[in-house]
Amino acid sequence: MKLRSKENYVLFLLTVALTGWLVPGAGYFLLKETKRGTIILVALVLTFCVGLYVGSIGVIDPVNAKPWYVAQMMNSPLVAILGHLAKGGAYTVYGRPAEVAQIYTSVAGLLNLLCIVNAVYVAHLQLTQTTGDQKC
Amino acid sequence: MLILALSATASFTKPENIGTTAASMLWLLPLIASIAVTYKATKVPDIKAADFIKEVVLLFGSIVVFMAVIAVGLYGVERLITE
Repeated sequence: MKLRSKENYVLFLLTVALTGWLVPGAGYFLLKETKRGTIILVALVLTFCVGLYVGSIGVIDPVNAKPWYVAQMMNSPLVAILGHLAKGGAYTVYGRPAEVAQIYTSVAGLLNLLCIVNAVYVAHLQLTQTTGDQKC
Repeated sequence: MLILALSATASFTKPENIGTTAASMLWLLPLIASIAVTYKATKVPDIKAADFIKEVVLLFGSIVVFMAVIAVGLYGVERLITE
């Protein structure tokens, strides 16, 4: 029984993390923190879209800009689709627009990583508090 | 509607024209706003509109001021070295 609840605990934390990765801020929706989730969703999607608007989808480059791509992938696994589209070099971008766009899209990804870690921590706190309450 | 959707999609396939001018540094401001909003959304224990906006504005202002101070400092160092 104890093992089973431990498995559920890990599974729940994993679900929160994966949901938060799939859709920015969605991890908080699972924790019933709707306001927080909505603010994060809007802020991160806007930041990412501004980055794409400034530099085009050409800034998502899994071949020539791997470190940036890793940070961009933190936004969502769906970024891989854009990376696949831009892989052939069909959307070239240079200079200042490329810099601004890479910074915007990568910072959005890193902020989402921060949110995922925070959502997992909040989930952990909620679960341990619930277990503590039950013990009392 | 279709034309609107197509033109919106097309705008993501061509980069914007941003010159390497001092004004291009203003692109920093929306990014700082986004960082401030996201960071505060993870840190504030209970989100209430007025308090949240106040916290975000404070963080936004302090980042901008701090970066301006660093820029002025670096400019001063550059002037000292080159003159």
